[in-house]
Amino acid sequence: MATYEDLKAKAEAAWAPFEEPQRPLIKVGVTTCSRVAGALETLAAVRAELAARGLEADVMVTGCWGLCYAEPLVEVRRPGRPGVLYGNLTADKVAGLIEGTLGAEGAAPELALAVLADASLDGVPPLRSLEFFAGQERRLMANCGVIDPEEIDHYIAHGGYEGLAKALAMTDEQVIAEVLESGLWGRGGAAFPTGRKWDFLRTAPVTPKYMICNADEGDPGSFVNRNLMESDPHLVIEGMVIGGYATGASYGYIYIREEYPLPVERMERAVEQARERGLLGSNVLGTGFAFDLEVVRGAGSYVCGEETGLIASIEGSRGMPRIRPPFPAQAGVFGKPSNVNNVESYANAPLIMRNGAAWYASVGSEKHKGTKMFSLSGQVRRVGILEAPLGTPMSDVVVGAGGGSPEGRALKAVQPGGPLSGIVPASDVGIALEPEPFRERGMFMGSGGLVVIDDSNCVLDLAIYFEWFAEDESCGRCTTCFAGTRRLLEILRRIASGRGRNSDPEIMRLLADTMRYANCVHGQAAPTAVMSMFRFFEEELNEHLQNKRCPAKVCRELVRYEVVHHSDRLPQAEAICPTAAVVRENGHYRIDQGKCIKCDACREQAPYAIAVVDAFGP
Amino acid sequence: MTRITAGPPHSSRYAAADTPPDDAELAAKVRELIAGLSPDSADLLTAFHRIQHEYGYVPREAIPVLAGQFGTTPAMLYGALDFYSEICTAPPSGTTVEWCSGPACLLKGSTNIRRVLESVLGCAMNENTPDGAFGLRLVQCDGTCHLAPLLRLEGKYLGPLSVSDAIKLARGLKGGPQREAGGDGEKPAGVPEGGEES
Repeated sequence: MATYEDLKAKAEAAWAPFEEPQRPLIKVGVTTCSRVAGALETLAAVRAELAARGLEADVMVTGCWGLCYAEPLVEVRRPGRPGVLYGNLTADKVAGLIEGTLGAEGAAPELALAVLADASLDGVPPLRSLEFFAGQERRLMANCGVIDPEEIDHYIAHGGYEGLAKALAMTDEQVIAEVLESGLWGRGGAAFPTGRKWDFLRTAPVTPKYMICNADEGDPGSFVNRNLMESDPHLVIEGMVIGGYATGASYGYIYIREEYPLPVERMERAVEQARERGLLGSNVLGTGFAFDLEVVRGAGSYVCGEETGLIASIEGSRGMPRIRPPFPAQAGVFGKPSNVNNVESYANAPLIMRNGAAWYASVGSEKHKGTKMFSLSGQVRRVGILEAPLGTPMSDVVVGAGGGSPEGRALKAVQPGGPLSGIVPASDVGIALEPEPFRERGMFMGSGGLVVIDDSNCVLDLAIYFEWFAEDESCGRCTTCFAGTRRLLEILRRIASGRGRNSDPEIMRLLADTMRYANCVHGQAAPTAVMSMFRFFEEELNEHLQNKRCPAKVCRELVRYEVVHHSDRLPQAEAICPTAAVVRENGHYRIDQGKCIKCDACREQAPYAIAVVDAFGP
Repeated sequence: MTRITAGPPHSSRYAAADTPPDDAELAAKVRELIAGLSPDSADLLTAFHRIQHEYGYVPREAIPVLAGQFGTTPAMLYGALDFYSEICTAPPSGTTVEWCSGPACLLKGSTNIRRVLESVLGCAMNENTPDGAFGLRLVQCDGTCHLAPLLRLEGKYLGPLSVSDAIKLARGLKGGPQREAGGDGEKPAGVPEGGEES
């Protein structure tokens, strides 16, 4: 049986050619977000271009740096020089890149995004100087974009499985003590101390015990777990094996949502490789500790992200959450003691074991140690994934890294962590990214999604979306939740259609108060966005309610389209209209309100001539 | 009357409660697909995925076979199957346009795109056209938000899309002539009738 030292020596030998390449090395990031931007085409074009030119170079697939806004991303390294990153490198730019870097032996600065060094090179700025990277502390993401996620040796050569080797030399109680001391808490949203959760399972008297990884990242707008699983899958596996050792669990499940085919593929491959190396199986690293795991693919249900729902889904029944207690540590999957943690929680464990709790706690705020990954999307200039110390002001991430709202528009709000987490107004964008400031505002920080909202968006429209989502995904077990969400949705839609009643806010408050008694957090938290709206956007809500007016002109029943000017572009508007509502009579254009579906296509074509006006009022 | 709904109707169900036709060939194929899977090792979702991968949906004839293998009743098994929105109980349409319902897409105007797709293709969300040629499907956010608002068509991601792009796409799929600017006598794509959700 191979020892950790044997594995490490072998892995370092395998990584050596990539550490100090003797010939040019081209790395292409291939992940979900880059594939949709054309990374596979870029990869093929790189290979074809090298072959056509007869150039000697290595091509390597890597994970993702988190720069979604600049995908596809390519790194070129020439012997003896630092790597240079090239952004938005679609297949059509590959020939220019190869010519500029390998042909002319330059850095092709006109295509370059950043250089992977401390100082700039040929006018290309260092990665750290990019606004997106400035406030980042990359620990979980240290390997993202650097290694090939399908090569276990790359991971081991970067310190992978060292934490496991250290843990296996300790007692289970020592491992848990180390995790407790680090201050790590669950990253899935509930923020429960991971060490304590593990200790519940360790002291459970029944065997077998199970480790479950919740990779059902169902919060729309959150995609941090996806990036980690497809860029550095072994980090998650190592965390689960450490957890298994600390708690006495012998088997694990990684439950990945249906919408993530690439993470499923890469995790499955990583599990196989770990088994081949003796890092999983009946005798982990020759210590006699037995642990194995498998990947379970979900099938499109949001509530399966709730731990008891997830357990029901693994067991093969409807994925409906149940009342706790009993908690999973008492009776989890197949009625046996189980521990459910988020992907990111597990991924922190190897770092804590490798570097120690003191190192781990060296960043973060006074109360909360370590880092957290965040995904930025919506009305923000730079969409992407980043990692920052806990306690970082949210404005540093949204405005600093993300670049704030698009040109000419103002930041209105930020929606953190998923549809059940609430809406933070722009005036509070400076709050620290840790649980308390959100809790004080009746919200949750959630699992890491940050969806940015600007002044072209309507808060009521957004609240309707969140409530629709909660209603659609309600499992149907408790009336409090399935009827409560439906009733809230009806009232919100009524207000958005201009038929709101003065008593509506009071009814919604009453409903929200009742829903706190729902069986699981899905129903309990479903009214959060509505409550945020009452608290921070009352004026906007009242405009809908009292004046039948949508200030952002989004709510369709409160606006209509009108031809307000003449323009040469009106024929285009007439042609694009899907319902023939742009009518020409005697050379004049008007909108047939009976036919108009308010899709905005005509205004896209003729923005000067066609305007959105209030349907009611002056 | 327009039919823009803010939420999807329920997923399609199997037709009226008659006994499933006895299809020995299909049953044998399903048995082969799920051989070795067992209820004690978290395999039911795997079974659904394998059958759906083969047929594009889970045919109702597969239910008794699955129930037998997993030691449960067809009703219990159907209950589990029906819970998951990604498991289909009806054959997919010829061309399915997948519309992302995520928040980033919403903020960037996906509701308008939904309206024009429903209007031009002539079917509501999560439904197929009567001839089965086209279908619209609501999908959840998978974090490809740099392309918002986006559509997925035959595995390809299209975005960021303007409403006009979506109209042209849908018209192109329909195979009808693209209406040129100022063109006369072209009949507009009709708005489907009924189905308004209040």
